[in-house]
Amino acid sequence: MKKLELIKIVITVLLCSLLVVPIILSNHSWPTHARNYLLVNAQSDTGATNTVSAIYLGYRAMDTLGETLVLLVSVTGTMAILVKLGKEQTDEETTSFSLTPEKRPTNRLRTHLLETVASKLGPIVLLFGFYVMLYGHISPGGGFQGGVIVASAIVFLALGTEVKSKLTSTFVLSRIESLSFLLLILASISGVFFESGFFGNPIKSASSLSANFIILLNIIIGLKVGTSIAVMCIAMMGGSHDH
Amino acid sequence: MIIERILIALLFLSGFAAIVGMRNIIKKIFGLNLLNASVVLLFILEGSRIGNQAPILDADITNMVDPIPQALMLTAIVIGVCVSALSLALAVRLYKATGSLDIQVITERLQREH
Repeated sequence: MKKLELIKIVITVLLCSLLVVPIILSNHSWPTHARNYLLVNAQSDTGATNTVSAIYLGYRAMDTLGETLVLLVSVTGTMAILVKLGKEQTDEETTSFSLTPEKRPTNRLRTHLLETVASKLGPIVLLFGFYVMLYGHISPGGGFQGGVIVASAIVFLALGTEVKSKLTSTFVLSRIESLSFLLLILASISGVFFESGFFGNPIKSASSLSANFIILLNIIIGLKVGTSIAVMCIAMMGGSHDH
Repeated sequence: MIIERILIALLFLSGFAAIVGMRNIIKKIFGLNLLNASVVLLFILEGSRIGNQAPILDADITNMVDPIPQALMLTAIVIGVCVSALSLALAVRLYKATGSLDIQVITERLQREH
């Protein structure tokens, strides 16, 4: 019986490889038209030096809106599943990572190393996350990457005990998340009233900074992604009951 | 170039084998992550075939990689994180409901309840 299972698995994997491996190994030449167009026009079209930012916030900003919607739905689902779980369990105190400071020394998962390193690293990583977020239009980085770094900084702050921060409460984080999604929708439709269309730049003439709209969208998306992922991580550590 | 492609194919197939063959649902979710990672790597590799410079438009840039696969994979990475978070939450829920992470034990226990 066990052998039969193994044979079934091997046959399935072989069939899958029959489908996938020719695609992966194909030596078809990659088209260069889009690259050449972007090399010449990306900076004058969108104002961003980083072409990846120019694509996902300039040419294909609609995709980014859809992606933040997917993130919102996923966070809603995860929180709905995990928060209901938190109400049912009773022995959470012995295993959870988010304990009150008095109970922490008794937990075998909480070492002094974790306490010290996490709380000292948190603010520095937060600063680095905002740097990556704000300079996404001229250097490698952007809203998504900076947002994920901000999320890891918030997780550090939630793990440590030395720094007390309101940022680690899921209530505050989910309010920031909702607010940034509202701001994203307002920013996306604001171009309609200035005759530049959906996701058009409404402040092109009002400011001398050429990538202003991309910077604005990077900040909003960074806050959205950072708080979403931080809320999910804190809920998974068992800290969703603190409000 | 061919060695990277073979490694990516192996990564994809090991992720698929984990989804099909493993009985532990946490390992199945790791297989899903491996599939996601191999697709991301394949796109980045394809985009890098026509250049060797990062797609930041500095003054002396002439031969940059294609930035479109990179922008697409940015989306794919975020969606991958969402999918794994949601499936891990479901795994925790299944474990709390049935007391096991083995997919066959879970099925048996859920059938016994109904």
